[in-house]
Amino acid sequence: MELQPQAESVQAQPVKKSALLYKLKKNKLTMVGAVILGVIILAAVFAPVLTPYNPNMIDAANKFQGPSWSHWFGTDEVGRDIFTRILYGARLSLGLGIVAILIAAGIGLVIGTISGYFGGMIDQAIMRTMDMVLAFPTLILAMALAAALGPSIQNAMIAIALVKIPVYVRLARSETLSLRESLFVKSAQTFGIRPFRIIRKHIMPNSVSPVIIQGTLDVGDAILLIATLGFLGLGAQPPAPEWGAMISIGWKYLLDFWWYPTFPCLFLFLSAGALNLIGDGVRDVLDPRSSR
Amino acid sequence: MIKTIFKRLLLLVFVVFGVTLITFILSNIIPGDPASMMAGQRANEETLEQVREQLGLDQPVLTQYANYMQGLLTGDLGTSIRTQKPVLDDLLIFFPATLELAVLAFLIAIVIGIPLGILAAVKKNTFRDHASRIFTISGISTPVFWSGLLVIFIFYGVLGWFPSNGRIDMAINPPTHVTGFYLLDSLLSGDLVAFQSSLRHIILPAIVLSFAQLAIITRQVRASMLEVLEKEYFRTAIANGIHGPYLLIKYGLRNALIPTITVIGVSFGALLGGAVVTETVFGWPGMGKYVVDSIAYLDFPAMMGFTVFISIGYVLINLVVDLSYYVLNPQIKE
Repeated sequence: MELQPQAESVQAQPVKKSALLYKLKKNKLTMVGAVILGVIILAAVFAPVLTPYNPNMIDAANKFQGPSWSHWFGTDEVGRDIFTRILYGARLSLGLGIVAILIAAGIGLVIGTISGYFGGMIDQAIMRTMDMVLAFPTLILAMALAAALGPSIQNAMIAIALVKIPVYVRLARSETLSLRESLFVKSAQTFGIRPFRIIRKHIMPNSVSPVIIQGTLDVGDAILLIATLGFLGLGAQPPAPEWGAMISIGWKYLLDFWWYPTFPCLFLFLSAGALNLIGDGVRDVLDPRSSR
Repeated sequence: MIKTIFKRLLLLVFVVFGVTLITFILSNIIPGDPASMMAGQRANEETLEQVREQLGLDQPVLTQYANYMQGLLTGDLGTSIRTQKPVLDDLLIFFPATLELAVLAFLIAIVIGIPLGILAAVKKNTFRDHASRIFTISGISTPVFWSGLLVIFIFYGVLGWFPSNGRIDMAINPPTHVTGFYLLDSLLSGDLVAFQSSLRHIILPAIVLSFAQLAIITRQVRASMLEVLEKEYFRTAIANGIHGPYLLIKYGLRNALIPTITVIGVSFGALLGGAVVTETVFGWPGMGKYVVDSIAYLDFPAMMGFTVFISIGYVLINLVVDLSYYVLNPQIKE
C-alpha cells in the first residue's frame, strides 16, 4: 500500500525528463550555453594536459608578456601564465560555486521539509527567519558574513551558501505542504512511521526536483558572487588562481597590460552567461509564461 | 495601507536585529584581532590589552552585542577603527555620493529598460526580441567590475572622453553643499564648470551600475507585457481601433507595471551591492568605497554600520514599493 503510489511517481519521472531534454535541445541559445559550459568544464578537468605551466610558477624574467604562442593569454606581474591560471581557476570558481549551492540546497531542503511537515510554531519561526534574510541585499549580506568569518575562499563559499539558503527553504516547504496531504504520506502515518523517517523517505525524494532546478539557476549567480567577494578582497587570497582575486590585482594594470584582467573577466562572463542561458532554457520549458 | 507600513517597519526591526546578531556571533568565531590591527604590529601585550578595553573587545560577546544595540537605538554606530571617527558621521559624509550615483543609475535603467521591454514583447520572437534577450542575459551575467573595466578601457583609455576616477576634477572646487548631490548643487549655485565636470565624472559609473538593473527591468516588462497582450480587454481595445503608443501605455504598460515594480524593488538590493563594486572600480567616494577600504583594516564597526545603514534603506525602499501598488491599482484596498 505504501509502495504503490511511490512506484507511480517513479514511473512518471522518466517521461517528464526526456520531454524536458527534448524541449531543451530545441532551444538554440540554451544549447549554446551548454556547449560553452561543457568546454570550460573539460578545460578545467584536463588543465594539466592542456598547459605545460604550473599556475603558481613564478618566472620574473617573463613578466607582463603579451598574448603569444607560448603564453596564449600573456603573463602577469610575476611572469605566471594567465591561461594556466584561468584553467586552474575554473576548478576553484566553478567548483566552489557548485559546492556553495549544494550546501545551500541541501540545508534548505532539510529545513524546508521540516518546516512544511510540522507546521505551527516551528514553521513560523523558521519562515520569519528566512524572510529576514531575504529582506536583505544578497551581496552586502555575503560581504558582512565573509568579513565576519574572515577573508578566505572557504569562508566566502560558506557566506554565499548561507545567503542562498532561504530560497530553497521556501521551495522545499511549499512542495512539502502539498505532499503532506498525499495518500502515501497519510498511509505512512497510519502505519505509525516516525515523522523524521517520513520526511527522509517520502517527502524529501519527492520534493527534490524543484530544488535541483532552482540550483541550476543559482550556480551562475554563486560564481559571480564568489568572484565579486574575491575582487573586494573578501574571498580567495593571492596567490590562489581564483578569477575574482586575479581580477582584483589585474585591474590596476588594465591600461598598460590589458590582457591581465581581461581574460579572467571574459571567462567569468562566459561561465555565468552559459549557466544563465541553461537556467533560462530550463525555466522556459517548465513555465513558458515566466520571464526570460 | 497602515497595516502594510506597520508590517514593513516590524520587519525592519527584525532585519536589523537579526543581521547584527548573526554578524556578531560569526565575527567572534574567528581569530582575526582588530586590536592588533589598530595598535600596529609592534605593539606589546599591554598596549593591546588597552586597545581591547577601549574597543570593548575584552567583554563577553553578548555584552558587546547589548552595548552595540544600545548605542544603535541612540544613533551611535560606534567608532571606526580605521578613521577613528564615529561611523555614523563617516557614513553620512559618503552617503550623498552613493545616493546620487544610485539614483542616476536607477533613472537610466527605467528610461531605457521599460521601452526596451515593451519593444521585445511587441516584436516577440523576431530579431529585435532575440537581440534584447542577448542584451539582458549579458546584463545579469556581467560582473560589475568587468563592465566597469571595459568602459574605463574604452572611454578613458582609448578615447579619452571621460575621466575614470573621482566625482569632480581635482582643480575644481566642489559646489557649495546643499543636497550633497554635486549635479544639483552646482546647478543651484549656477556653477556650470562644476556641473560639467561632475556630469563627466558620474556618467560612466552610472551607466555601469545601471546595466544589471536595466536587464532585470527589461526582462520583467517583456514578460508582463506578453501576458497583458493576450488579455481580453487588450484585444477589445485593438478591435475598437485604439492603437499606437496610447494603446501600449494606457492599456498595456499600466497593467504590466505592478509586477515590474515588485521586481524593481527587489533588484534595488542588487543595485546597492553593485554600487559597492562600482565605487571601488571608479574610485567614487561613496559608502561602498568606504566599506571596502575598511575591510582591509578589519574595521568591524564600519562594516556593521554600513550593513545596518543599508538594511534600513533597503527595507524602506521596499515599503515605498508596497505603497506604490495602491497608487497604481485602485482595486487594491483593505
